[in-house]
Amino acid sequence: MTSLIDRRMGIFLAGLFVLTVAVPIGNLAFDGKVVPSYIVSLLGKYLCYALLAVALDMVWGFCGILSLGHGAFFALGGYAMGMHLMREIGDRGVYANPDLPDFMVFLSWDELPWFWMGFDNFWFASLMVMLVPGALAFLFGWFAFRSRVTGVYLSIITQAMTYALQLAFFRNEMGFGGNNGLTDFKDVLGFPIQSDATRAGLFVCTAIALALGLLIARAITTSKLGMILVCIRDAESRTRFMGYRVEGYKLFIFVVSAMMAGVAGALYTPQVGIINPGEFSPANSIEIVIWVALGGRGTLVGAALGAILVALAKTLFTGWFPEFWLFALGGLFILVTLFLPKGVLGLIEETFARKKKPAPALQEAKA
Amino acid sequence: MSVHLLLDGVNRSFDGYKAINDLSLAVDKGELRAVIGPNGAGKTTMMDIITGKTRPDSGGVWWNQTVDLTKIDEAGSARLGIGRKFQKPTVFETHSVEENIALSLKAERSVLATLFHRQTEAEAARITELLELVRLEGDRHRPAADLSHGQKQWLEIGMLLAQDPELLLVDEPAAGMTDAETMRTAELLRSLAGKHTVIVVEHDMDFVRALDCRVTVLHQGHVLTEGSLDHVSANPEVIEVYLGR
Amino acid sequence: MLFLRACLLALLLPMFAAPASAQTQDFDALVTSLPEGSYSARGAVVGAIALTGDPRAEAILTALLDGALGVIETTGQVVILAPAPADALAGTPLTDAEATSAERIRVNNGLRRDIRAALGILTLSDPDPAKRLAAADAAFRAPDAAQYELLDAAFQREENPAVKSRLAEARAVAILDGDFPDAEKREAIDVIADRGDADAQRILTPFAASEDPDIAEAAAAALASIEQSRMLWGQAQNIWYGLSLGSVLLLAAIGLAITFGVMGVINMAHGELVMLGAYTTYAVQETIRQNAPGLFDWSLLIAAPLAFLVAGAVGVAIERGIVRHLYGRALETLLATWGVSLILQQSVRSIFGPNNREVGNPSWMSGSFDVGQMTVTWNRLWILIFALAVFAVLLFVMKRTAVGLQMRAVTQNRPMAASMGIRTNWVDALTFGLGAGIAGLAGVALSQIDNVSPNLGQSYIVDSFMVVVFGGAGNIWGTLAGAFSLGIVNKFLEPYAGAVLAKIIVLVAIILFIQKRPRGLFAVKGRAVEG
Repeated sequence: MTSLIDRRMGIFLAGLFVLTVAVPIGNLAFDGKVVPSYIVSLLGKYLCYALLAVALDMVWGFCGILSLGHGAFFALGGYAMGMHLMREIGDRGVYANPDLPDFMVFLSWDELPWFWMGFDNFWFASLMVMLVPGALAFLFGWFAFRSRVTGVYLSIITQAMTYALQLAFFRNEMGFGGNNGLTDFKDVLGFPIQSDATRAGLFVCTAIALALGLLIARAITTSKLGMILVCIRDAESRTRFMGYRVEGYKLFIFVVSAMMAGVAGALYTPQVGIINPGEFSPANSIEIVIWVALGGRGTLVGAALGAILVALAKTLFTGWFPEFWLFALGGLFILVTLFLPKGVLGLIEETFARKKKPAPALQEAKA
Repeated sequence: MSVHLLLDGVNRSFDGYKAINDLSLAVDKGELRAVIGPNGAGKTTMMDIITGKTRPDSGGVWWNQTVDLTKIDEAGSARLGIGRKFQKPTVFETHSVEENIALSLKAERSVLATLFHRQTEAEAARITELLELVRLEGDRHRPAADLSHGQKQWLEIGMLLAQDPELLLVDEPAAGMTDAETMRTAELLRSLAGKHTVIVVEHDMDFVRALDCRVTVLHQGHVLTEGSLDHVSANPEVIEVYLGR
Repeated sequence: MLFLRACLLALLLPMFAAPASAQTQDFDALVTSLPEGSYSARGAVVGAIALTGDPRAEAILTALLDGALGVIETTGQVVILAPAPADALAGTPLTDAEATSAERIRVNNGLRRDIRAALGILTLSDPDPAKRLAAADAAFRAPDAAQYELLDAAFQREENPAVKSRLAEARAVAILDGDFPDAEKREAIDVIADRGDADAQRILTPFAASEDPDIAEAAAAALASIEQSRMLWGQAQNIWYGLSLGSVLLLAAIGLAITFGVMGVINMAHGELVMLGAYTTYAVQETIRQNAPGLFDWSLLIAAPLAFLVAGAVGVAIERGIVRHLYGRALETLLATWGVSLILQQSVRSIFGPNNREVGNPSWMSGSFDVGQMTVTWNRLWILIFALAVFAVLLFVMKRTAVGLQMRAVTQNRPMAASMGIRTNWVDALTFGLGAGIAGLAGVALSQIDNVSPNLGQSYIVDSFMVVVFGGAGNIWGTLAGAFSLGIVNKFLEPYAGAVLAKIIVLVAIILFIQKRPRGLFAVKGRAVEG
């Protein structure tokens, strides 16, 4: 049986651990001189993306379901957390209404809608962070997988799903702040959201969540169930004839993945300070796919790495020459699909393998 | 002996084309049966109907005279104990040979059971036994993709046996095998009969002869004739169908 | 008063049959009598003047309304004082002395109203039927029993059937306003009810509460029938809007029906090819504006082939450069073409800037016309025609030409087609180019109704995929049915749910529909696709 922590996972987790220790110390101990505060939040954001990429890799890399709607699960998780953060503002909003968030006062609503109930409790909100995306994924998957919608058809309807949600969240009547989304957060669990210590804390939480997410994903994909997922990816019909109910497996991994994406979104919202319907846009969801493709499909660690690389490149590019970012991203899509089917991780490991191979051959020759 | 599988007046058409036309067939428990027929005779569609991949337009398909096979899906038929080997070998290429067998082993197929599954010693022993039977023990850790065509055929037979099915549907097992391998396959299938019910679809007449069993000739989705190989090959209609006018 | 007018009219009416010279004489007499009598008597004269249909009447009545009509006391000569002083009847200019000696003919509010009505009626005898129609409409909208005789007279002599029926309605309104027998009024209600629109409803509503039970009943029945006819017209308008939206969807999706439906290639850059078509139109129009403004009305006809070529060429480049390396790997194709779409978007943004570009409507695409109670804009109608034409041509190419035959052969069995001597590479490129070129044509049409910006394509991509998937990939008839049914359903939902919610409902419905029929409305059946 394959071990839970193989070499690439070990290296990645070690690197992540170093980052988790070094970044907060570099920020807090040196008063932001070594690691500026905005860098802490930026890195935290990258790690959220990495967790999201791991979630997508579980369904796409292992089970072959190319979801173009994973941004929706991410955004739903983000909104669930955002709703809690809105409730924590209390009467410190512009309108100083103790019961209603500012945008509801602005829309002259009288009372909190029922679906906002309970979100003042952090633990309830945390539960919803996973339950809401999970429930949507269950509902969607239950219909889609049972009727054997596969391949590009599935991709297209997942895209339609996130698009429909985007349109819905744009509406003021939905009760999620419409166009502007949820923002102007003050505290998280009583800690001021803008303070360096809170930012560092959120960063550490995100790193831990990423590590846990990777381990869970790894545990699932190395189990017998994980092997069956690969069977489904490679020969779905054959898997059915072996007596496995394919739709159940797909549904399981889709829901787990959606929940993980929801957690990533929940950690994203407080670090970025805003969640709005733009997160639902189909373009965002496709971008997640390229993170995974770049890093290496079906490698988990590669997906996380890909997300960080693309996000870093985006930050640098948009800072240096903003108009070239889309060229770069577009080129990345083309180059990766044409020339890097195994992603960066696959390329690195192949290069290493090639360098090592001549050695035994030489020994054999001598013997 | 009781009837294990019964097809009763089955019809199925695709866009007006009658792939299966009033097909009736009964196979006894433990029987070894060869089904032959020219291309387009409906052999594959017949297997699709038995395994729940295709629903018949009319007619009944009965398992053990009690279970209606037209109401179940592929996975359901596999769980009942119907194993199928495809014409074109489909093994899971990225998995190792050993894993291919392990995944086929008869075991609880639910999501949670597989999530928390740990391989038992009995299972490990069974895997080794099967690998020895299909002569792939030396290749057990290689990815299935690396196997030759003939080896893939064997691996698939191994996977089929791992499922321990009551009924084996075997579609052209000899394709891509050497003569010696073909004979060994025939021998294996003969040895399975009795304990298992086996239906073999085949083109290779030498292979069918080696099976030494009752033969059903299918033509245009209908049973043309049934009997021993010598009996059916003496039938003028069969000769006409195979050789044309 | 009414009686008086009726008498006067009875006297005057035979004049219409009289010879021209006599009519002229009577006209002169009427005008000369204008300064005399009470205001109400002069009101009748004003009406009579209008009824003569004399070409001079309009200038005289307008002058009277503006207080620019005078009379020279000494001679009794009626004169127009402004803008150029002249004899009202002969048209000869006046001397300054004459002009200053003239006394203005006074008018009060009642008379002014009569004059305005008369001016309205005057157009009833205008030689241009369109103007007569407008005058009848004006009279219909402003019920006035005083106009009855004028309208009746105009009605009697009108020969154009459209104008005549409108006049009948206007006359009916006047009857309802006045003191007429119940039978006539009920008849009038029926005439108005037949019109069946919002105006008719507005006019009849007060009569439903009439004290006269007969009238009230007739009006209530008429209102009910109007309600129904309005509902029907409302449905018709919805269907039209739906067809219009459907034609837009069809245009956006039809190229996809080829690349995705026929070739099985997901081209996420399809929307950007549409955008390229729209920008080609923009470029053509800019060139025309600067060099040959007279050709502006031809701009779309010039842009269409160019857009086809530009988008088609880009499509061929995409196929040769990227897609052909990824055949059989649909998901990878999806990602790579998404990359292409980002690059195309940014290229256009870098060249033309991020803002909306102004693309004008040629004159033949501007404006609108009415059909019954619904309004049809010319640009929407032309786009519908254009979409159907593109569809027809495409159908012809696919089913009736050698190229189409080769395309179908290659998509159905590539190795077999290749072994029969078809150059599959060439056919692939051509098919993809055709789909892309049609996207360019769609861009020309969409530039007329949508903002031309680098994001144009993005807004259509989800919708057009929905159309193709809903209609059933591989079947261009399915795309046609899919586009129009989605368009119409969307527009029927909009009044109840609002535009955004309607769209969401349609999306969710399609998602659910695909679960039921994964291969779409017009699925290609058979064994081949079941595997």
